[in-house]
Amino acid sequence: MKYLLPKNELYSRLARWSAEYSILAPQKVGEYSEFLPFTAQSELCLQEPHNTRYPAKALFFPQSETILKYNRISGQLESAAPESQKRIVFGIRPCDAKAVTLLDTVFAEGDNQDPFWLARRAETFLIGLGCHEPCATCFCTSTESGPFHTEGLDALLTDLGEVFFVETLSERVEALFSELSPAEAAQQEIALAVQAAAEKSLPKVFELDGIKEKLDRVFDKEIWAELSQSCLGCGICTFLCPTCFCFDLVDEAQRGTRVRNWDTCMYRVYSLEASAHNPRPTRRERTRQRLMHKYSYWWEHAGKLGCTGCGRCVRYCPVGLDIRAMIKKASAYESEAQHAN
Amino acid sequence: MPTNPSVPNPYLPTPMRVLRAYFESTDRTLKTLELSFENLADKIAFFKKFNPGQFCQLSVFGKGESPLGVASAAWEGDFVRFTVQRMGSVTKALHELKPGDTLGMRGPLGNGFPLADWKGKNLVIIGGGCAFSTLYALTKHVQHPQNRPDFGQLTVIYGARSSGLCMYKHDIQSWYQRDDMEIHQAIDVPEENWDHHVGYVPDVVRQIAPSPDNAVAIVCGPPIMTKFTLPALVSLGFPPEAIFTSLEKRMKCGLGKCGRCNIGSKYICKDGPVFSLAELNALPADI
Amino acid sequence: MSELEQKIRSEAERLLKEGLVDVVIAFRKEDAPLRPQPAFFTHPEDLENLTYNGLCANNLANYLTRYPRETRIGMLVRGCENRSVNALIVEKQHSRENLYLIGIPCTGIIDWRKVIALTGEDILGYEDTDSTLIVRARHQTFRLPRQELLHPSCQRCVHPNPLSADILLGEALPEGDPTLIRARVESFEALSREERTAFFRQEAERCIRCYACREACPMCYCEECFVDHNTPRWTESGTTPAGTHAWHIIRAFHQTGRCTSCGACERACPMDIQMTYLTDKLGKDMWDYYQFAAGMDDKTQPPFAAFTMDDKKHFQAGGKLS
Ligand SMILES: Cc1cc2nc3c(=O)[nH]c(=O)nc-3n(C[C@H](O)[C@H](O)[C@H](O)COP(=O)(O)OP(=O)(O)OC[C@H]3O[C@@H](n4cnc5c(N)ncnc54)[C@H](O)[C@@H]3O)c2cc1C
Ligand code: SF4
Ligand code: SF4
Ligand code: SF4
Ligand code: SF4
Ligand code: SF4
Ligand code: FES
Repeated sequence: MKYLLPKNELYSRLARWSAEYSILAPQKVGEYSEFLPFTAQSELCLQEPHNTRYPAKALFFPQSETILKYNRISGQLESAAPESQKRIVFGIRPCDAKAVTLLDTVFAEGDNQDPFWLARRAETFLIGLGCHEPCATCFCTSTESGPFHTEGLDALLTDLGEVFFVETLSERVEALFSELSPAEAAQQEIALAVQAAAEKSLPKVFELDGIKEKLDRVFDKEIWAELSQSCLGCGICTFLCPTCFCFDLVDEAQRGTRVRNWDTCMYRVYSLEASAHNPRPTRRERTRQRLMHKYSYWWEHAGKLGCTGCGRCVRYCPVGLDIRAMIKKASAYESEAQHAN
Repeated sequence: MPTNPSVPNPYLPTPMRVLRAYFESTDRTLKTLELSFENLADKIAFFKKFNPGQFCQLSVFGKGESPLGVASAAWEGDFVRFTVQRMGSVTKALHELKPGDTLGMRGPLGNGFPLADWKGKNLVIIGGGCAFSTLYALTKHVQHPQNRPDFGQLTVIYGARSSGLCMYKHDIQSWYQRDDMEIHQAIDVPEENWDHHVGYVPDVVRQIAPSPDNAVAIVCGPPIMTKFTLPALVSLGFPPEAIFTSLEKRMKCGLGKCGRCNIGSKYICKDGPVFSLAELNALPADI
Repeated sequence: MSELEQKIRSEAERLLKEGLVDVVIAFRKEDAPLRPQPAFFTHPEDLENLTYNGLCANNLANYLTRYPRETRIGMLVRGCENRSVNALIVEKQHSRENLYLIGIPCTGIIDWRKVIALTGEDILGYEDTDSTLIVRARHQTFRLPRQELLHPSCQRCVHPNPLSADILLGEALPEGDPTLIRARVESFEALSREERTAFFRQEAERCIRCYACREACPMCYCEECFVDHNTPRWTESGTTPAGTHAWHIIRAFHQTGRCTSCGACERACPMDIQMTYLTDKLGKDMWDYYQFAAGMDDKTQPPFAAFTMDDKKHFQAGGKLS
């Protein structure tokens, strides 16, 4: 169904929902935004032309989380209880919602599904906000997504100035909007025009066709050394990335807990073995892993690209490494090498 | 859309108790632990899934988990055996365990050896160092009268740096008396009273020259041994599809979730640790 | 292209062409707006990509420890970078003979955070001129006064000139006002205990433990950082307060007498966390107690790394705590 949500009714609407749901929406922390619980005092940050700095994946897969408790003396073990709560994530961008569906393929499919992910996921509605003015560092249109793509969303909002045009995408959120006035054909047309203009304002930076094969072929080439030369090997591009899921399991002896923390293939110690052997000894191999995982291995695991083009790694890399340029250079490397032959 | 939140916590170990613990090597770097199950249901679930070549995550609470290959066959009894080399924090803590102590275990994990595909084949088992543990489990499995008819000839080649580092000594000594298998042991440098092979495993393999006819070769050892044994087997005429090895990489979840152990698009913990050389050749060199 | 950029390029070209160095470490043109990238030039042809402006935010001395001591490195250094290089030479991380320092009197690094706070993050291009930063955002072009945009560390910089460069490109600048950096620390010291705790917690507890601050710091070159050590573990692993507090405190302490107050850590942090107030406090103490400032020359050991016969006894073997 299609509805109109006047902007000046947004806060009262959210307040009404919050009687039944806990609501998470982008809010400013200093100069950046992240998803925080909505309260009567909250001031939402929906006007930025891009997503929150801290990624929405944390709402389902928190950076640090206790997965079990133990008693070292008695050997008693206890599973942490997966948290399930009726939640509305309001204002999530299409790239981040798509990323949640990508992470479903890791945590919610096949054997050994993750109960913590499943529990948070089951009762959480994703109400998305499309990007009518995509940011210069966003590139979702190149990565099987787009500023108004609906994958993973229960509803999508389009900013029409005074009102949000609301399109519901799943049965389960219909009731949330049913009191709103339905959108007319004319408004839908305006919304479609806004969406098309946004899509058009973000021309593709590369074609995905053949990228995987090209990267596979340059796996052992020198290009990775060149691309990774300035990389600091920090956790920014992977911790902020909405699709990165690597984690560590660590015992906190004083607390008697085993916790799961985000981890990253960009750290040296990530792959360091007890024998001191490290299969990825330098930033060359580690940068290659990050890029190859997203642009090659994901296809084999999930049949999908592992990057949603959210642009966070581009915006916040402290040495200005831009994954778009890196992928272009790596995939072009092969053709140069071929010319040389 | 995921809807079923009531799945068990796959990171939760099952409680185990140390049944026996003894040093395997004279330098005390290798220790064997035999663990019994605290709960009957866990035991049943374990043996229902278990296949030689698989591994488990052993937990010492407060220290963490370490992946370790299972060194026993199911028919040996209601216990699971591991041989642990002391390396860092967890393996050190495992070495400190005494009979009666409790610990956690997750598993069996990984694919294990493809025994069904090997039916009717001759097996050439080649191991070095403590990585021989899962090959020991494989040999024990094959030796059982009920399983023995499933396979042809059985040849075991096992090398260690010195006699003091040879594992499962008494049992392996008895293999020389068996008429259903061949056993060759080797140490790197000569020692008094050693009447078996002397030399590196790849050279011993060349010397013994097992026949590739209707055979599969299974190689587990330190990376350097594996690296030189694989070409030795290829030159003996073993096709890459008939050569198997077990890989190691740092691991955390053991379930194909934490991302840690990938080589290209494969997770060693889930898609392996056992791979044929043909499969390995198709993977990027990321090990 | 600015005149300064042209001078840097010519000098780099000379060094490479004459075979005086194996690599020139400088900056190259950005892929992402506002983010010129550290670059490693080994061929004169590549120098057309070299760039230099106020948005070159990294401390290039950070890359020194990636090379063996034999590598002959030409490096662009501003005041703080030169001091970091000195501190690294004191710690025997490279040999001075194999370094050629191309010095630039520094007019300050522009803080990208201050820029995006004014312009938003949808930036298409920019131009850094003497007094103004011109930023082209999607809907508007901003002309921002440069001085106000400088990173706080640069606004209170005392020694903007490279101290021991092999060549200085451009006129030396007047020294900075040394009271500014002290005043900042003093205002923190003047807070009540509760206020200090509150400020520390507000900053540290946002930390996501990405370690960009560590990786951006020239002095954090430990093979194994204390947070990565697991036998024993020194800190709680996660982003709990206990974990982030320990990280922030111990990291700062490891910089005592070593930090040159370049601010690279803060510029790298993805969560806008302030941390120089801790290292600057330690720097002030180093000065007040030992009259030592890090990196002023490439010989003097920092007080906590030096040993002399008139040290108080309890640091010696067999000595007793007095
Ligand atoms: C499938 C598999 C089977 C193995 N089987 C055996 C065996 O039968 N006997 C044996 O002695 N060793 C075996 N290992 C190696 C053993 O797991 C490591 O030596 C052990 O994890 C080191 O842990 P630590 O805590 O003592 O060392 P630390 O250096 O303190 O390591 C800390 C953590 O890093 C991880 N880690 C470090 N090195 C390795 C590694 N090489 N492999 C996997 N994880 C690592 C572990 O999670 C460990 O808890 C096996 C490894 C794998 C992957
Ligand atoms: S954010 Fe940049 S510097 Fe940090 S690891 Fe990623 S690419 Fe390297
Ligand atoms: S790789 Fe970069 S652009 Fe792609 S999803 Fe991750 S953070 Fe976003
Ligand atoms: S391997 Fe690297 S790129 Fe892939 S999910 Fe893990 S941290 Fe992200
Ligand atoms: S924080 Fe300390 S231990 Fe870690 S790298 Fe820096 S100086 Fe070394
Ligand atoms: S850069 Fe910032 S977020 Fe990252 S570890 Fe340092 S203080 Fe924490
Ligand atoms: S150990 Fe986690 S994916 Fe293999």
